Amino acid sequence: MKVGFIGLGAMGRPMALHLQQAGHELAVWARRPESIGDLPASICATPAELGRCCDVVFTVITSSADVEGVALGKDGLVEGLAPGSVLVDCSTIAPDAARHIAEKLGEKGIHFLDAPVSGGEQGAIDATLAIMAGGDAAVLDRVRPLLDCLGKRIVHVGPNGAGQVAKACNQMIMVAAIQAAAEAMRLAAAAGVDCGKVRQALAGGSAASRVLDVMGERMVRRDFSAGIEARLHHKDFGLVLEAARQSGVAVPLAAVVAQQLNALTAQGWGRDDTSSLLRVLELA
Amino acid sequence: MKIGFIGLGIMGRPMALNLIKGGHAVTVWARRAESMQPLLDAGAKGAASPAEAARGNELVISMVADAPDVAEVMRGVASVGQPGLVAVDMSTIAPAAARKIGEELALAGVDFVDAPVSGGEVGAIAGTLSIMAGGSEAAFAKAKAAFECMGKNIVHVGASGAGQVAKAANQIVTGMGVLAVAEAFAFAAKNGVDRSKVREALLGGFAYSKILENHGQRMLDRNFKPGFKSWMHEKDLNIVMQTAHELGLCLPGSAATAQMFSAMVGSGMGEDDSIAVLKLLERLSGQE
Repeated sequence: MKVGFIGLGAMGRPMALHLQQAGHELAVWARRPESIGDLPASICATPAELGRCCDVVFTVITSSADVEGVALGKDGLVEGLAPGSVLVDCSTIAPDAARHIAEKLGEKGIHFLDAPVSGGEQGAIDATLAIMAGGDAAVLDRVRPLLDCLGKRIVHVGPNGAGQVAKACNQMIMVAAIQAAAEAMRLAAAAGVDCGKVRQALAGGSAASRVLDVMGERMVRRDFSAGIEARLHHKDFGLVLEAARQSGVAVPLAAVVAQQLNALTAQGWGRDDTSSLLRVLELA
Repeated sequence: MKIGFIGLGIMGRPMALNLIKGGHAVTVWARRAESMQPLLDAGAKGAASPAEAARGNELVISMVADAPDVAEVMRGVASVGQPGLVAVDMSTIAPAAARKIGEELALAGVDFVDAPVSGGEVGAIAGTLSIMAGGSEAAFAKAKAAFECMGKNIVHVGASGAGQVAKAANQIVTGMGVLAVAEAFAFAAKNGVDRSKVREALLGGFAYSKILENHGQRMLDRNFKPGFKSWMHEKDLNIVMQTAHELGLCLPGSAATAQMFSAMVGSGMGEDDSIAVLKLLERLSGQE
C-alpha cells in the first residue's frame, strides 16, 4: 500500500521507517525538507500532492492548529485525498479539533481516525506504542495492519475524538505520577535519606509504577535531558484543562500539576525532560 | 459627545442610560431588538448594525459577552473606517484578544481602548464602576468624559491590553476572595460556631474586605441570586489560567479556585451568584 507520512520528528521518523520496512511504499511531505534526511521515501511538494498519491496518510505533529492547517488549509490533504482514503492523526490535539477535522473531511468522503499514541520515543523505535483510536470501527480495521507495524496495544476507544479523550486521560495520570515521584524524591532528600534506595524500596510495593521506574531513575541520576520534552506535556495540560472545563468537571490535581509545569516552563526547562518537575520543587 | 453603544445586557443597559443622563447623544445597537426599547424610550437613537452605531460618532463603546462577540462587532466598526473614531470595549476578554482587536482596528484608522469594569450591576446602575483602561494617551483622553458618566475609579493602566490584564488580576483577587470567605464560613459551621458572629468579629481586623462584608452577608442570607454569575466568573478565571499557561506563570491558588468554579458550572450552579461556591463546599464536606 502507498502510505503518506507528515511529521518526521522524534516520534514520527521511527514510525515512518517501520511502515516502510514492513514493505509499504512511503511518501512524505515536510515543512522543513531537511528533516527528511535519508529516509527512503518519495517527497511531495505539498500535503495536497501527498494526498493525491496515497490511500492512507499519517500525521504526527504538535498542535491542533498545525494538524488543522495540514489537513484543511490551503494545499492541505483535503484537496488531494480521494473519497474512501484515510487520514490517521497520531498527534495529541484537542478532542474538539479532532471532531472538527473528521467532520470537514467527512464532507468529502475522506475517513479520519484520531489515533494518539503513548510510549514515547523509545516506544516508537521499538514499535511498542499504545495506540488509542477514535473513529469508525470498520475504518480502524482497514488500517489495523499498518498500526500493527507501530504498536502493540491498539484500542478502539469510540467515535472520533474518543482517542484524544483517552490520550488526555493518559497524560493526566502520567504527569501527576511524575509530580508525585518528584515530591517523594524531594521529601527523601530533605529528610537526609538516599533517593536511590527509596526508589528501589518502592519498586517492590504498591507504589511501583512505570513512571517511578523510568522518571524516578532519571531524578536519582539527576539526568534531566529529554526523554519526553516537558514543553509537550505543558501543551497537553492546556488541552486537558480545556477539555475538563468544557465538560464541567473539576480536576483539582491536574490544575495544580499544570501550575508546576508553568513554573518549569518559566525556568527555561521546556526542552528538558519532565522529570525536571523535581527541580521546580527545589526552587521553593 | 456623540457616542455609539453596542450591547445592552445587565451591564450595558444601565451604562448606556448613564451616558444619556450625562448629556451625551447616544446611538444604540443590540442583537435583540427588544433590548433596545428601554434606551429608545430614554431618548437614544436606534441603529441597525454595529457599523451604523459607529458611523458619524466620535466614540463607540461595546459591552458584550465574550471575545468572539467583541471581534465581530469591532469588525463592523472597522468597516466604517472613520479616521479619528475611538472604539472602546468594556467587556472582559483575554488581554491577547484585546491586543489583536486593537491591531485590527488600527489598520482601519480606528484607535482602540480596552476598558473592562468592576462593580457589577449595582455599580453600573449607580455609575460607580471601577474602569481599568488600556490604550493610547490620546484615545483614553477622548473616552474619559464617557467613562466619568459610568464610573468613579477610572485608571489608565497602560498600553493596549493593560486594562484586561488589570481586570484579570481583579478576578484573581475576587475569585479567591469569595472562596476564602466561603471556606472560613464552612470552617466555622463545621466547628459548631455561628458564622455571622465570625463575620462580625473579622470585619474589625486585617481580614476585613468588601467581599467579607457584602458577599459574606449574602452567604449568611443564603441569597444566591446574581449579582455576578458563577459561569461568568469561571469564564474570567479561564482567561487568567490560559494567560498563565501561555506566559509560563505558576498560579496554584487561582488554579484551585478555577476548578471550584468549573465544578459549580458543571453541577448546575452556573446561573447562581459566585457566592454559591459555599454550597459546593458544604456538599463536599457533608454539611448540607
